[in-house]
Amino acid sequence: MSIRVDPNLSSELIAGLDLNQQSVNVDLEELSTGKDVNSLGDNPSAAASLVGNQTQSAQVDQFLSNISSVQGLLQVGDSTMSSVVNLMSQAISLGVEGANGTLSASDRQSIASQMSGIMQQMVGLANTTYQGNYIFAGTNDQTPAFTLDASAPDGVTYNGNTDVNNVQLSTGQTMAVNVPGSQIFQNSSGDVFGALNQMITALQSGTGVAAANTALENAFNAVNSQRVFYGNGGAELDTAQSFLNQENVELTQQQTDLVGADMGAVASDYSQAQVQQQALLAASGKILGQPTLFDYLPT
Amino acid sequence: MGTLSGAMSIIVGSLDADQGAISVTTNNLANANTPGYDRQIAQFNENTPIVEGNLVFGTGVTLEQAQTVRSNVLQLQLNQETQQTGQLGSFLSGMDQVQSLFNETSGTGLQTPLSAFFSSLQQLSTNPSDSSLRTGVITAAQNLATAFNQSSSALTTQQSNLNLSVQQSVSQINSLTGQVAQLNNQISGMTKDGEDPSALVEQRDSALNSLSNLIGTSVISGDDGNITVTTGNGSPLIVGDQSYALETQTNAATGMQDVYSQGQDITSQISGGQLGGQIQVRDQQIPSVLNQLDTLASSISNAVNAQSEAGYDANGNPGTALFSTPPAGVTGSAASMSVVISDPSLVAASSDGTSGSNGNANALAAIANQPIADGETPADYYSGTVFQIGNAVSNATAEQTAAQQVTQQLQNQIGALSGVSLDEEAANLTQFEQAYDASARVVTMISDMMTEAINLGQD
Repeated sequence: MSIRVDPNLSSELIAGLDLNQQSVNVDLEELSTGKDVNSLGDNPSAAASLVGNQTQSAQVDQFLSNISSVQGLLQVGDSTMSSVVNLMSQAISLGVEGANGTLSASDRQSIASQMSGIMQQMVGLANTTYQGNYIFAGTNDQTPAFTLDASAPDGVTYNGNTDVNNVQLSTGQTMAVNVPGSQIFQNSSGDVFGALNQMITALQSGTGVAAANTALENAFNAVNSQRVFYGNGGAELDTAQSFLNQENVELTQQQTDLVGADMGAVASDYSQAQVQQQALLAASGKILGQPTLFDYLPT
Repeated sequence: MGTLSGAMSIIVGSLDADQGAISVTTNNLANANTPGYDRQIAQFNENTPIVEGNLVFGTGVTLEQAQTVRSNVLQLQLNQETQQTGQLGSFLSGMDQVQSLFNETSGTGLQTPLSAFFSSLQQLSTNPSDSSLRTGVITAAQNLATAFNQSSSALTTQQSNLNLSVQQSVSQINSLTGQVAQLNNQISGMTKDGEDPSALVEQRDSALNSLSNLIGTSVISGDDGNITVTTGNGSPLIVGDQSYALETQTNAATGMQDVYSQGQDITSQISGGQLGGQIQVRDQQIPSVLNQLDTLASSISNAVNAQSEAGYDANGNPGTALFSTPPAGVTGSAASMSVVISDPSLVAASSDGTSGSNGNANALAAIANQPIADGETPADYYSGTVFQIGNAVSNATAEQTAAQQVTQQLQNQIGALSGVSLDEEAANLTQFEQAYDASARVVTMISDMMTEAINLGQD
């Protein structure tokens, strides 16, 4: 006796059609999302790595946003410092003029009052704000950094502190984003306000103008060297920015490697599954419609 | 001694046998599409011959029985596979909900709010005096807390749904064990009376298969066609005509329904079938994920609160907690997580008491990369949870595919053995019909011969 086969073909045909429909559905989902991992179960380790990838990617985006915020701050600082340096040059020229022994007392008084104007402008520059914050007040940035104070030795009071804020630019890299005003304008190697105040007094009294001029020169040099911070800061930000942009490209590539579908392969799978489905349906139609022996029995 | 009446009785027996065989064939045809039906074969037996001296006279044929073609071994194997597909099916449908809550591939899950929270602190560090950035931190913290709350509550809801399914499965199991016990009773009765219980055995097989889909079972054959059915761990379900109902009782600690057999809690020993899968997700998978969420929520809350208290707010006051204090013992941390400050100036970004200082905002943002959750960073810890869920689903899916293939093969084998083939039945039918025709013709001939014998000697 020959081997008997399962006479009921329909259950197997239905199972085959189901299986084929499943693979059509998977292909369609991959085509529509562009990913070959669409649920955690599709590829647990890729899904877990994706969490790390996206966390890193969000951090990189945030670092880039940090950088653009700091860029604005440093630009304002840099241009203010440039004005400070110009103003100091003007003060030095005026001081040289005032040192001229042929000047009359009224001439000196007029120069002294010009110098007072410079002093006021300098306080104005030292109280520059960015987004409502006094950028030369240390971290006490809600009150003006300096106020004119005739009783103080250098003519001003510093209201800020000596604290410095650091902002993170990338993992493990932070950068100071401010220089306290006391360090810029009241530096021990050259006190801007002190020198200006000294010059005003010297011009008013007519004595010590030369010494005051030397003090102004020293203050000019000191403030000029502080400017370097703002100039270099910009370059450091640019470097960090291009590094982060590169990292972003790599993270995106990594993400595609993790969960992205090979669209060509999926499309070809899809059309193959469709062909297979057609073939299965055609075969099913034929098999299920096949006659049995009963059809041939004499009636 | 061969006589005409002897021949007549042989031929009448043959007509009976052929009619019986035709009836077996038609019954096969009628049940060709009945699920679980096993085909029958008409079994003819030669009657005991009569011996007279050197002569042996045949006495015809009897239709001995309609023999059912079935394999108990295949049925048992099918039940085993059904237990597995039942368990994997309900496990996967339970886990599908769980994995969709954390589907990072489509951006749902905790990674986005977690990253957004730490980003908001970074952003605040660029301008700590900015009130809108402070508000941004509070909003991001609220979003994070809400994400924890929602994930936790969705898991708890899923757990209660499964709890309900457990109760339903138990009541279905009880109704099936009742049916099987009753069939057992009828089958053993028929067997004792020497009757063929095939039709009832098929019904019992079908009920057992449904039972296997619900719970893992062991089946032992007993006397008189009886079977004894126990759960996988040996708790009795059916013994003879007696069925033992499973019961559910609320567990005071978990609020979930535990399954009892004969007063004994067998919940953790149940494996196989839908009930096994439901219990596995309800009592193992979901609690494990919930516990990890709680650990993460509590670690983040504690670390952020401690760092906040180490700093100063925008008003120069010592910082206060940002999140609610997680409950002792961690459990419930994700569900109860909330943001306890609403005034943006209270965010403790400052490390020196001035509103422009960002030192503490940096320290808060740095928590993102600190090993605060079981020795891992928050993102790494969470990615472990994602892997665990995905891995459970992926393994079960692979097993399910295999089990489905085995089931299909077993069904093919059972079909090959016991399925009704229309061609075969047509051939048999023709054969029996022809035999019947021949016998009927013989009756006519014998009848003619008898007439001749009666009229012997008349002109």
